[in-house]
Amino acid sequence: MTDLKDQSIHHMTVKICEDLRSSAQYKMLFEDVQKLVSTPNVKIDDFKMTLLKTMQEHGLEAELKNSIYRWVKTKRKETTPYDSFFRKAQIHWDKRIHKSLNSMCSELGISLAKTRGNNEKEELTNKWNELSNYEADIQKYRPVYAPKDFLEVLLNLKGPNREKVKNENHRWEFAQLPLRVKNLSELRNLYLEISRGDQILTGGGGNSINPHHAALETERISLGEKVLAKNYAPLAQEYLKKGCPKCLRARMWTLLLGAEVRSSQIAYFEGLKQNVLQYDLMIDKLIIKDISLTASNDDQYFVFEDVLYQVMLCFSRDPEILKNLPNQPAFMQVSFKGKTNAPENTIVFPPSGVIPFHGFTMYAAPFCYLFDNSVELYFAFRAFYLRYWHRLHRVCSSSQGVVSLCLQFEKLLQCYEPNLWNHFKKCRIYPLRVVIKWIMRAFSGHLAPEQLLTLWDLIIAYDSLEIIPLLAVVIVVFRKDNLMKVNTLTNVEAVLADLSSIAVIPLLQMALMKDS
Amino acid sequence: MRVSFCTDLDKSVVVTNCEKRGWIQVGPEDDWNIYWAGTQTCRSLFSVDSGYRMNDNQLINHFPNHYEISRKDLLVKNIKRYRRDLEKEGNMMAERGDSKYLHLDFIPVTFVLPADYNMFVEEYRKAPQSTWIMKPCGRSQGSGIFLINKLSKLKRWSRESKTPFQQQLTKESYVISKYIDNPLLIGGKKFDLRLYVLVTSFRPLKAYQFKLGFCRFCTVKYDSSVAELDNMYVHLTNVSVQKHGGEYNSLHGGKLSVQNLRLYLESTRGKKVTEKLFDEISWLIIHCLKAIAPVIATDRHCFECYGYDIIIDNKLKPWLIEVNASPSLTSTTANDRILKHKLLDNIFNIVVPPCGIPDVRWNKIPPAEALGDFELLIDEDLLNLNENGENGSMRNSKWK
Repeated sequence: MTDLKDQSIHHMTVKICEDLRSSAQYKMLFEDVQKLVSTPNVKIDDFKMTLLKTMQEHGLEAELKNSIYRWVKTKRKETTPYDSFFRKAQIHWDKRIHKSLNSMCSELGISLAKTRGNNEKEELTNKWNELSNYEADIQKYRPVYAPKDFLEVLLNLKGPNREKVKNENHRWEFAQLPLRVKNLSELRNLYLEISRGDQILTGGGGNSINPHHAALETERISLGEKVLAKNYAPLAQEYLKKGCPKCLRARMWTLLLGAEVRSSQIAYFEGLKQNVLQYDLMIDKLIIKDISLTASNDDQYFVFEDVLYQVMLCFSRDPEILKNLPNQPAFMQVSFKGKTNAPENTIVFPPSGVIPFHGFTMYAAPFCYLFDNSVELYFAFRAFYLRYWHRLHRVCSSSQGVVSLCLQFEKLLQCYEPNLWNHFKKCRIYPLRVVIKWIMRAFSGHLAPEQLLTLWDLIIAYDSLEIIPLLAVVIVVFRKDNLMKVNTLTNVEAVLADLSSIAVIPLLQMALMKDS
Repeated sequence: MRVSFCTDLDKSVVVTNCEKRGWIQVGPEDDWNIYWAGTQTCRSLFSVDSGYRMNDNQLINHFPNHYEISRKDLLVKNIKRYRRDLEKEGNMMAERGDSKYLHLDFIPVTFVLPADYNMFVEEYRKAPQSTWIMKPCGRSQGSGIFLINKLSKLKRWSRESKTPFQQQLTKESYVISKYIDNPLLIGGKKFDLRLYVLVTSFRPLKAYQFKLGFCRFCTVKYDSSVAELDNMYVHLTNVSVQKHGGEYNSLHGGKLSVQNLRLYLESTRGKKVTEKLFDEISWLIIHCLKAIAPVIATDRHCFECYGYDIIIDNKLKPWLIEVNASPSLTSTTANDRILKHKLLDNIFNIVVPPCGIPDVRWNKIPPAEALGDFELLIDEDLLNLNENGENGSMRNSKWK
């Protein structure tokens, strides 16, 4: 038995070492270690011990630990017996998207990929810092799909066991899907700090003169500085559970996500930018369109429009995303217009493998409040996407995937507010239709930025997206009285339209602390 | 007794707020309790010729000589005088270092033209090639403003305005101020702050700051190069100017809330510097009000809501640009409407005593719950109370 365990640890170690060696950070780490080896602190006669000691002193040990911690987080894999079913559904959906892209191209008479002309390249280069002034003809482009289209796809999932369910009588719930989701008491265990009523720093009140809040914030800041000084990611994760002061959030997230920017990241980002300048991909127009439809019109984010153009365009060119996504999406191989199909003329389209839906920009927009610098912003956003956001617009069986989150929303609402549930059912209003956009965008663009960042703190603190459907249910329940008074979808949407007054932590406390 | 109100401005935000309180609208000739008036109306009402005498149950939204703060030349004159007076007293606040005031250096160096022309030239020579901004004293909303960076341009302007055809113009005086050419930029764009301050009395000074101001952004990237000197879309943040730009977006109107500015600054620059900035803003508002307090014709029937325009430079230092005595109540966006509705609602909560009937005999100390989104900046009554009795009742003021 011990043997077996040893063996599995051994395998794991080999795997980690292999992956680390091929990672982007490895070269830097190796160089840093080499530098240490050449210092007098590392003695040849006691090489291992002295090296380890010096590594510890220079913070390299913490860095190595952080790398392993992040590796474990991203490689986490759950398997369910239904993986292949969901995988097939996703591939089917990917194909539909690709088909739709292709037909948009032929309709508009354009190609998916081509090399930019010199004039265009020059103009784009000159306007790189003010891309809102770059004249792109996006009139005829339209978003490939919107959250409600994606919901249709999810609702049409028949479920691997569907044939066994005989009596259908318009059950539009997700309940036929054999996925296991947490109930309220399991959520209470997961979000222990919230449910047991620990004091949590709330994102509220900029210049509130509540002396209590000010004292707590000061205390949190001094503790936070210590955590950052330790430079140890798991500590940062623990720390976030009780709320993060605004002034430390950017650094805390960077540490936790491993999004530090060094010279190699700056060079990498520059490479992505060059790729944007070099090639004209049809997806660029979709990105520009999405930003102009969302962030540019939003009074919380319009000032950051130009930064978002840079970040989102570079994101589409990043092959690391495709490489690191669990369950690689289906992607297209496309050759440049007017070139032969030779391998050097073909690219993966888009290089990131991600085709944006309406509102995709909102995954990145809130980061603009945290980072002044577009490179730092980019890597934090990318890490967040790779850890969490990709699950919100893909069909998968993961307990963190959008299917499970929708199911969780339904079950919570059904269990804890059956009256409201029945009211919806009687009026033939499907509550998920209203909240799907909250879930798919993780509330971005719906909550006030400060509240949103507080919510996202909790996502990384507990390393789980289950807080999103929970909050969605709490908001619906919170507005129950008004919802019971209306009976059309339009009016339900109106009751739930404005979330600017929602305070995240107090609402979650209300739900999780109730009758405990 | 039914409270009646009167207004000569066709602003729905005023009327709906008053009606919501159950007040009845009456004409200016009738018995009114609250008059929300334009500055002209107010001035003629107070003029000797009108012979109008207000009774104890009447309130009006302007002080008779509000132009002491809202006219650009008078504001500067009053602040300069205030600093000199403090200096004469040997007051610490007027301390200087390197010839500049250390604590009261919150307006850009400014001169009135043509009166102070020689003084301006002397100052200009200290830093030739620097950019200055010319503003007509009595106009608003960015009209008549231009930038200069050469004395010759100013000379040409003064020659041109003296031609016989433009006799009118020569009467108009201008202020010329050192241009803040290093403004704080967000997303590459310049902005200014519009903050609201309510004054219910000048002697003793009672002032409240509204928490929900906003930043007004230029639609075009900031560019301090000479080539863009004449492009007002780059330099002026006034909505009335920006509206005519091709890039104006009517959904957000170029307005970002002060709370979001604070979130951005605290997240990217840190808590200490952000707090210092906002404290300095409150500081400049108070001292600006103290500077005009001695010259304002104080009248217990009056209250006034000012729109403060402030620019923050890239070292996070706030600069007072100007004060508006009748800030726009027009709503450009949905959020704007909510903000202005709250503003009016909270103003009425503060100026009307808890009994609900305007009364000038009231001590004008509203209960804490009446403040809404206003924060007490200063109340000299409370300060005096505090000094006299040990059991000070000033819980809210940050300003001793």
